Amino acid sequence: MEQLVIETKNLSKIYEGAVEVRAVDNVDLQIQNGEFTAIVGPSGSGKTTLLNMIGGLDRPTSGSIRVNGVELSGMRENELIDFRLRHIGFVFQSYNLIPVLTARENTEFIMLMQNVDKALRNERVEKLLSEVGLSDKMDSRPSQLSGGQQQRVAVARALASKPDFVLADEPTANLDSKSTANLLDIMARLNRDEGTTFIFSTHDQRVIDRARRVITLVDGKIVSDEQR
Amino acid sequence: MNQITKIAWRNIWRNRVRSLVVIIALALGLWAGTFTSGFYEGMMKQKVDDVIQSELSHFQVHDTAFRDELIVTHFMEDATEIQRSIEQNSNVISTSGRVIATSMMASANKTGGVKLIGIDPEEEKRTTQLDQKLQEGAYFEGIKRNPILVSRKMAEEYKLKLRSKVVMTFQDLNGEIVASSFRVVGLYSSGNGMLDEVNAYARRSDLQGLIGLAPEQYHQVAVLIDDHQLAESIAGSYQEQHPHLEVLPWLDLAPGMRYMVEASGTFAYIIVAIILIALLFSVVNTMLMAVLERTREIGMLMAVGMNKSKVFFMIMLETLFLSLIGGPVGLLIAFGFIRYTGSQGIDLGAIGESYAEMGFSAVVYPQLGLSSYISITLMVLVMAILAAIYPARKALKLNPAEAVRKI
Repeated sequence: MEQLVIETKNLSKIYEGAVEVRAVDNVDLQIQNGEFTAIVGPSGSGKTTLLNMIGGLDRPTSGSIRVNGVELSGMRENELIDFRLRHIGFVFQSYNLIPVLTARENTEFIMLMQNVDKALRNERVEKLLSEVGLSDKMDSRPSQLSGGQQQRVAVARALASKPDFVLADEPTANLDSKSTANLLDIMARLNRDEGTTFIFSTHDQRVIDRARRVITLVDGKIVSDEQR
Repeated sequence: MNQITKIAWRNIWRNRVRSLVVIIALALGLWAGTFTSGFYEGMMKQKVDDVIQSELSHFQVHDTAFRDELIVTHFMEDATEIQRSIEQNSNVISTSGRVIATSMMASANKTGGVKLIGIDPEEEKRTTQLDQKLQEGAYFEGIKRNPILVSRKMAEEYKLKLRSKVVMTFQDLNGEIVASSFRVVGLYSSGNGMLDEVNAYARRSDLQGLIGLAPEQYHQVAVLIDDHQLAESIAGSYQEQHPHLEVLPWLDLAPGMRYMVEASGTFAYIIVAIILIALLFSVVNTMLMAVLERTREIGMLMAVGMNKSKVFFMIMLETLFLSLIGGPVGLLIAFGFIRYTGSQGIDLGAIGESYAEMGFSAVVYPQLGLSSYISITLMVLVMAILAAIYPARKALKLNPAEAVRKI
């Protein structure tokens, strides 16, 4: 069943300065539940800015963003943080795990903040880490894991909160081809089997090849939107 | 909350060396500050004990005019009766009745002013332990006529030896000048240079005879009780019963002492406060470094949904952990150190002599009361909280979108 998860209208982000930069320029975008979508474009095309605004990390200069019907642009800072906690999963380019926590604790962290009870937490942590193939690394800290393994923990963490969708900003930029293929397999499977919505920003051709929808940005404007 | 405490605790051990440096700095600073407080408190306590036990006693009774004019005619008529009634009080350990004559002392070498104190050797022994201060000679034994106890310092100045003769000149009750020869029976040293310069002791009966006082007439009754704290209240109640006398507790007999006792407590706290303020800046500096180098991580925490109060709380906790490890360690070391030096004593050596001149003991036994430990602990807590606020606020200012992108 198709359902609108993200809808932006006339979304713009303008950086004032010596020269005015329209990082995102009047973007209208709709993303349905269960999509596996890549946002692509050259450096400086506004991919990350768009993703940050959809994720509630950055505020638009004008226009609206609705996530599952909820308008983000007018929210206060702490409301946004809470919204991110409950509705959005993040995977970052440089993994960004909490270095002092183990893989298990990193995955559990978000559920702890959501006040999920212990039995449920344990069950879900074990399920997620086994899905990303890290059952044997649950008690390792990030410094003891490879880049690919860290990024898989990040995916498990992003899913732990049962988000409406997962935003991944250049998730494979720091990975070798084998880790990239592995990570993409895992995300594709989660998308297929669990119906998880993934939205990437990337210029990695391997990711673009696997995406089912590719949105191309140039100078902050959508120049193509291709369904496969 | 538990999770945040865990993260904060692990965070401070990420940079072990840096955290240890701050913890050690805190411990050393507090050790120094606390020990200094203990040193002064010990020194003051000793001074107070010393002043009470060998000089002033807990309170003294005089004729109301005596202390202003210090002349022999201001005596108490029935002093033995006063002495006996004071001794009825169960807190009173002993009393000493004294006759005091401001005198000129002349030896073959020198003439100078001396406060000649007529005492009953037994009473004085019990009240000020005068016999313990004897360094040479005997305690009013061996010389029949007019024995006098002078300080070792006077002996050096006046070139006196045991059995040397001195001539004491003072006024009698009629205002006539009386001169009488005394023979040195012993040399004492009280440890208080200022007193040693002026006090010489003779028998009360000898002096009463020379001045023309009856045996029951004294100038001063000094009273030793069993508790410093009761001095003011017992003196006060005795004063109420005897309005025609002047009854003064030791703190009023030596107003300088009262000032010194009160100032020394404040002084110790000022030292601790200065040390803590310096430490505060080093803690703030360390935590700022920790926050700024973790910009991306803190941004990520906010991005994935850690709210501002939790971020604030986490950084506060990290700062508090640092301070609250270092603080107690420092206090514990100081406690041990004060205990040890308090039982062994610290000999100030060459500096000690100048302290002794000012009436302080040359060997200091540091000690620190529970209330001082509590106050210092509270000061450390306040410092820790103050140090925690700025870095935690700095962390809140981070913008998660920018923080995450920064590599």
